[in-house]
Amino acid sequence: MTQAAQVHHPTTKDYIRIAVVLGVLTAFEIALFYVEGAVGEDMPGWVFPLALISLSAIKFVMVVAYFMHLRYEKPMLSRVFSIGAVLALSLFLIVLAISGRIAISG
Amino acid sequence: MATIAPPRTPTVFKRPQSTTGFWSWITTVDHKKIAILYGYTAFSFFIIGGVEALLLRIQLAGPDGTFLTAAQYNGLFTTHAVTMIFLFVMPMASAFFNYLLPLMLGARDVAFPRMNAVSYWIFLFGGIFIYSSIIFGTNPAPVGGNLPGGALDASPLGSIPGGGWFLYAPNSGPQFSPGTSIDYAVLGLQILGVASLISSVNFIVTIFNMRTKGMRLLRMPVFVWMTMIVAFLLLFSLPIIAIALFMLTTDRQFGTVFFEAASGGDPILWQNLFWLFGHPEVYVLILPAMGIVSEVLPVFSRKPLFGYPAIVFAGGAIAFLGFGVWAHHMLASDIPTVAQAAFGLSTMTIAIPTGIKIFNWIATIWGGRIRLTTPMLFSLGFVALFVIGGLSGVTHAVVPSDWQQTDTYYIVAHLHYVLFGGAIFGLFSGIYYWFPKLTGRMYNERLGQIHFGLMFFGMNLTFGPMHWLGLQGMVRRTWVYSADTGLGPWNLVVTIGSFVIATSILVFMFNWTWSKRKGEIAPNDPWDARTLEWTIPSPTPEYNFGVKPTVTVLDDFWHQKYDEDDEGRAVRRPEADELVDQLIEANGNPETEIRLPAPSYFPIIAGFGMMLLAYGIIYHTRPWGIPLIVIGILMLVSSLLGWGGEPVEEVHEDAGVDPTDPESDTEVVNPDPESAPPELVGVDDR
Amino acid sequence: MTDIAHDDLDEAAGEHDSHGHHESTGVDNRKLGMWFFLSSEFLFFGTLITNYLIFKGRDFGPGSIYPVEFYDIPFTSISSFVLLMSSLTMVLAHAALARGDQNQTRTWLAATAMLGLVFVSGQFFEFTEFVLEGLKLSSNPAASAFYLLTGFHGIHVVVGVVLLLSLWGKSVRQPEGLSPEQGLNVELVGLYWHFVDIIWIVIFVVVYLIQ
Repeated sequence: MTQAAQVHHPTTKDYIRIAVVLGVLTAFEIALFYVEGAVGEDMPGWVFPLALISLSAIKFVMVVAYFMHLRYEKPMLSRVFSIGAVLALSLFLIVLAISGRIAISG
Repeated sequence: MATIAPPRTPTVFKRPQSTTGFWSWITTVDHKKIAILYGYTAFSFFIIGGVEALLLRIQLAGPDGTFLTAAQYNGLFTTHAVTMIFLFVMPMASAFFNYLLPLMLGARDVAFPRMNAVSYWIFLFGGIFIYSSIIFGTNPAPVGGNLPGGALDASPLGSIPGGGWFLYAPNSGPQFSPGTSIDYAVLGLQILGVASLISSVNFIVTIFNMRTKGMRLLRMPVFVWMTMIVAFLLLFSLPIIAIALFMLTTDRQFGTVFFEAASGGDPILWQNLFWLFGHPEVYVLILPAMGIVSEVLPVFSRKPLFGYPAIVFAGGAIAFLGFGVWAHHMLASDIPTVAQAAFGLSTMTIAIPTGIKIFNWIATIWGGRIRLTTPMLFSLGFVALFVIGGLSGVTHAVVPSDWQQTDTYYIVAHLHYVLFGGAIFGLFSGIYYWFPKLTGRMYNERLGQIHFGLMFFGMNLTFGPMHWLGLQGMVRRTWVYSADTGLGPWNLVVTIGSFVIATSILVFMFNWTWSKRKGEIAPNDPWDARTLEWTIPSPTPEYNFGVKPTVTVLDDFWHQKYDEDDEGRAVRRPEADELVDQLIEANGNPETEIRLPAPSYFPIIAGFGMMLLAYGIIYHTRPWGIPLIVIGILMLVSSLLGWGGEPVEEVHEDAGVDPTDPESDTEVVNPDPESAPPELVGVDDR
Repeated sequence: MTDIAHDDLDEAAGEHDSHGHHESTGVDNRKLGMWFFLSSEFLFFGTLITNYLIFKGRDFGPGSIYPVEFYDIPFTSISSFVLLMSSLTMVLAHAALARGDQNQTRTWLAATAMLGLVFVSGQFFEFTEFVLEGLKLSSNPAASAFYLLTGFHGIHVVVGVVLLLSLWGKSVRQPEGLSPEQGLNVELVGLYWHFVDIIWIVIFVVVYLIQ
């Protein structure tokens, strides 16, 4: 069932490039952690969490799209996968709100 | 009758050979046999749960009852709920899903037949596990009961798990429930959750991938749609309760304090997690019944289902909204006012899709040529009682009103109107409707109607007065009330009602047992039905369809039999009878080779391993606890690996043989028991 | 759900009957099942992460300790990187099999399993350190939630390693390597493996890096 999709699959080189990007993003995340340790006091509280979450979201999407091939699959599978992701995200944000803990207040 | 059981490819063990008798049931992966197993198991649990309810009602028949101890009462109302929800309504619905899904979709089996068997065995052992608490569990008497708090209640049934089906922490934690009984409920629910999760994936993939040619999504019967929605609800809600139950297990077994407020834990977290699962679960219970009713009403009104897409999408909307209303179970707890308002509002919106369904059903009946058979009566009863239960449900959405009603018998009345008047009436409607399909015989119509009459009357007698008992302030889950409350007379009425219900169930059991053996032989297409399962012989051959069907419209079978006259009324075609007979003849005599899923020993081993693992966790501090855990895990892993080595499908050699001639008394005429048609012999063997 | 009703599910209805199975979506049963299972795993890990966020930094009385005081960010960064790279080796194994290169498949499967083992060993080391330094499972709910979350993730990795090793074993034992049927298993294990990786991507940021 993947023969048709196989044609425009990424090559080994592409995969390695993606992995390099993922590695660099991870390095950024770790760097942000230490930068926050140094200058975090002077910045509004949401800056670093937001930056970190954005970076991890990019990594998340890249792994799902390329390594899990979701980009090359039928759109139905993306929907199947996003139902769970979106449901989990919205339900648990509400739970955190009810519990008096907004998710990213740190 | 050249039925030679094909030699099965041996793997580690000899492969299962039996096609009849005990071992064929143990090793079966046939969706119909599994459905029958589910059905009988669920019904047995229904009897157990019903007897528990009767015991509770005897205790409450008059003020200051002394029939039960406090611990017995706690245990009985808890296991009554757990049994009815997880061991009766869900598995009984699963019996319907299993039996009907492949037939309605025109498939040979579900997508993963062996996983299907695993689900059943895990469910069975989970149920046994919970009830084994009666023998092995210990349960200190609750404070405020008739025994000194903390003393062990050694009375019979004193050690069944108490604490409510919701297992509210920290009441279910180690401090307030120190015995092992609660562990049986906690781990038992965990096991049942695994079974349901497996079958939900199975059913969704079956619906997505196993449809026959032309069976587009919007041509599927409503019952299939509701099955899919139920499966989605379970798929996304079970992981949440799995974690919650696991946290409770670590609280009870490994010294964590997740839910203990005094040590910084969070009891509200339990309520959130439980009801995040618990509310979708409510729709898991009711949607299958809605699906059954949507099949039964049009058939017996001789009209198409009114607003098919509306009913389908309303079902989806109920499921979607059902995830966003869980906190209305917690309105009396400490959640922010904004959240209370929001959840009250979202709860009210559920009335919209539900109302759409009700109006569609009424419009389906409207102007139809109605036949008041037993399944139709039960479906009509469903609609009526569900409306009452739905309306009292909306009153809980009004927050101040809910504060007044919460934890009173008003809630008990509401939930029984939707679950007894709703789910169980729907299930009985289905049992009668598909009885000819399952057995090849007709049930006794008069007994069926007596069953309905008694049950409808008894149900209202039982749960109707609970409304005003609740509004007068009678509190739930309390084992005695005093005479000066004045609640005695109505409680007596309620108790009488519950025995009327019990009588009606006896009538049903007699009807079932008698009709299965002695009932009239069912004609082809006894109900003049609309869906694919009626185009094949009854009882269903092992391979389902001799010829894979092709559908071109919704209710394809009906459209083959009926035409419209100039005024748009349905007119039966003259050749319809002949067509039905031809179809059924062709489907009973397959000409091509048929490949069926191969039977396996491993599902039951996996299920048993799961149960041993749970015992091991409860008793992990005993010397034999850890070995039990190890053995359980080994059984699970080895059976998974073992079945990885088995062939998935094997050729069914019955091709060309008519194994299910409905005219014959199969058990007798077939000279070679090994070659007897599996369904019939199996059903009768039980 | 309503979207699904309209397009690709139905597009394929009937078209695939010809090749022996009864697919109506064109996606293999087991693969579709795996995607649904993974989708539900979001709720599983979502519950665990929420649980941790609720208890993180809550006041447990005098002398209460928090997981965050014990984190060794450089160490966890390295093990996160290891798990990330195991996703690369996994996808290379799958791509090699798609090319029919059994040797490379074998190598990359083994590499993925090894990287997974390194990650799990790292986690084992981390847990041991934490416990020795005084953060126990039952210290307080924040600690319990931390262990539960990372522990369940670790169990997922272990299951993945077992699956990878069994595939690797098969490819070594069979002279002709993995059959197309088993090739689907590589794809399925791959999906599972990448999923475990993306969950760690989230955990690493939400639990370890955000202060």
